[in-house]
Amino acid sequence: MGHTLQILILGLCLGGVYALMACGLSLVFGVMRIVNLAHPSLIIAGAFISYWCFTLFGIDPILSLPISAAILFVIGLILYKLVFEKEARSAKYSEMTVLLTFAVAMVVDGALGAMFSNTQRVTSPDYATDAFFFGTIFLPKGQLYAGLISIAIIIGLVAFLRYTRLGYAIRATSQNRAAAELLGVNVNFVSLISFGIGVGLAGAAGSLVSFVFSFFPAKHWEWIAILMSLVVLGGMGSVQGTVIGAFLLAVISAFVGAYAGATWSTMTFFVALFVILLVRPQGLFGEKPEHV
Amino acid sequence: MIRTITLCAVAALGLSAGAHAADPIKIGASLPLTGNFSVSGEKHEKGYQLCVDLINEKGGLLGRELDLIISDNRSDIGTALSQYERFINVDDVDLVFGTFSSKLTFPISAVLAKNGMVHPIPAGGALRIYTQGHDNIFYFQQNAAEYIGSSVEGVLKNLVDEGERPSKAALVHADDFFANAIAAGLLGQKVTDPGGGEVADLSPGYLADAGMEVVYTEKWPEEGFSDWLNLANSIKNSGADLVVGLTASAEEAVQLTRALKTVRANPKMLYLSQGTQAEYLEGVGADAAQGTLVHTSWHEAVPFVGQLAGEDFSNQDFQEAFEAKYGNKPDEDSAIPFAVCQGMEQAVIGANSTDNAKMGEWLYARTKEDPARTVLGPFSWNDVGLPVDRPFLIAQWQNGQLKFVYPTDEFEGVSDLVHPKPEW
Repeated sequence: MGHTLQILILGLCLGGVYALMACGLSLVFGVMRIVNLAHPSLIIAGAFISYWCFTLFGIDPILSLPISAAILFVIGLILYKLVFEKEARSAKYSEMTVLLTFAVAMVVDGALGAMFSNTQRVTSPDYATDAFFFGTIFLPKGQLYAGLISIAIIIGLVAFLRYTRLGYAIRATSQNRAAAELLGVNVNFVSLISFGIGVGLAGAAGSLVSFVFSFFPAKHWEWIAILMSLVVLGGMGSVQGTVIGAFLLAVISAFVGAYAGATWSTMTFFVALFVILLVRPQGLFGEKPEHV
Repeated sequence: MIRTITLCAVAALGLSAGAHAADPIKIGASLPLTGNFSVSGEKHEKGYQLCVDLINEKGGLLGRELDLIISDNRSDIGTALSQYERFINVDDVDLVFGTFSSKLTFPISAVLAKNGMVHPIPAGGALRIYTQGHDNIFYFQQNAAEYIGSSVEGVLKNLVDEGERPSKAALVHADDFFANAIAAGLLGQKVTDPGGGEVADLSPGYLADAGMEVVYTEKWPEEGFSDWLNLANSIKNSGADLVVGLTASAEEAVQLTRALKTVRANPKMLYLSQGTQAEYLEGVGADAAQGTLVHTSWHEAVPFVGQLAGEDFSNQDFQEAFEAKYGNKPDEDSAIPFAVCQGMEQAVIGANSTDNAKMGEWLYARTKEDPARTVLGPFSWNDVGLPVDRPFLIAQWQNGQLKFVYPTDEFEGVSDLVHPKPEW
């Protein structure tokens, strides 16, 4: 029983971090139909900001999270203006953005490597390798804090989407871009802000990731498949679905790792991606695509 | 008239030959500068580049400048293969330097053998690389990875009192060429070729030889593994007092050590296959690193004297030159490629040409008395290209410094073993 509870705790803590890593990806797809393959590379950029804040100025990565988020938000706005805005009305927009974001990922990867070298980094506040012990059960402080902060940020995001005017506009654009435009929503501005928020969330996730996992510029290639599986499971564009998908898969993979072996724990994400695309391509909470 | 034309032709040929003699010696090296092996790949680049620059500063090789062409293979097998093909068939290189990791080295060894190139290997310890029947491959570390366990056994038997020795071992490793190879030796497994056929039967294994009971084994996938706490918790629950972590990269060594610390798994001894790098110390901190054992091919204190540009060039000279060029201390990931470059330079001088067949003959002819001399020590090779009589060094992190603890009879300056490993 204790062993099972321990695995559940580890899965939930990891799920919280995954949820924040993936929900920016989901938001950006929901509003703009951009499959942002550069999202994990931007998470790494956020991780580097927190790493250097910690190393140079001793700023705890949790405290530097707003800095990372703000810097990445601005980078998101610039990226959208430079790369995506011009093609927003193209019929092949989603397909084009896959290639565009792939290119952006490579540029970010190369730029980070040039600026910070390809050496691995990890931020090491004391709590990153500490835990609360309750008998034989432990709660890893690093993952716990990261998970709780992730949940708080996601709740804030959901509240913003649900209770603010801009949030209404973002949700309206997400549900039906043409109808939102007809009703007077400035969909271009909404897309710009949404992309900025999505990338800002990557920055926030990067700060938390910086003390949970070690990272280096090319690490994002390992994360994209995992994050995509979370988003697809929850339903492309559904932030709530992504959060539930993240917790579900993180817990399942923790149990698979404990009982079937570590090799299979990573496989869990890919098997889930494969099965969900076969059985329910719209994901758990996504809308079924309309057939024309 | 005919005489004039003939003289002109001869003169032109002479000029052409003169120009050819001044052409640089081209060297190709495909390295993982990005991707999973980038930490080591970048350091290999520095080691190769430093050596080439030093040779050029001293007038080059056979009177010709060296031109090092380095390409980033992104830690990807297909890219590494095509880059070596390009070096040979498009860039027309005279020599090649090997890449990093057994995973990349195994496939490219066939390409280089097919093209008759000498293949000096900086990091490719899996035994299977050397049993494919390829000529002219030469390994520039101590021995195949399968035999690293003999040094671990040596530490247990020779440096730890019987009553203090651990008795239960947990062995966890990456599902990677190199890590699998070390695990095979420690666990006493059979090594087979991918195409079938047994290469070696390593039973009963070094852990059994040392009287260890293996209570837990696990491996994680090569890429994308993140569930380190779960793994560390399983290790802790196994009750093992010797933890063997065979990681494919320094990054994994950091992740595993941090996870063991977080769950408070407190083995008497922790041995890792990676972790000599400064990045390891930075990632885990001096306290957590204290007492961790790592095998290594190189150590800053070992007084090897190699050769460069026909002159003695010691391990300490190497460190000074490295710090002067790059502003930081080298570790084994730069020292090993530097040694590769030294060995190849000596082969060119020995063969008095860049004819790879002649260079291969010269390298095969090295003996214990007349070895290739490098900052990694003297090298002579057996007929499959593995070094002869070279034990691996075992180092230990002590108070933030990597101390050399085994073998104890080869050099001065050996530190006492810290045992048991302090609790986290």
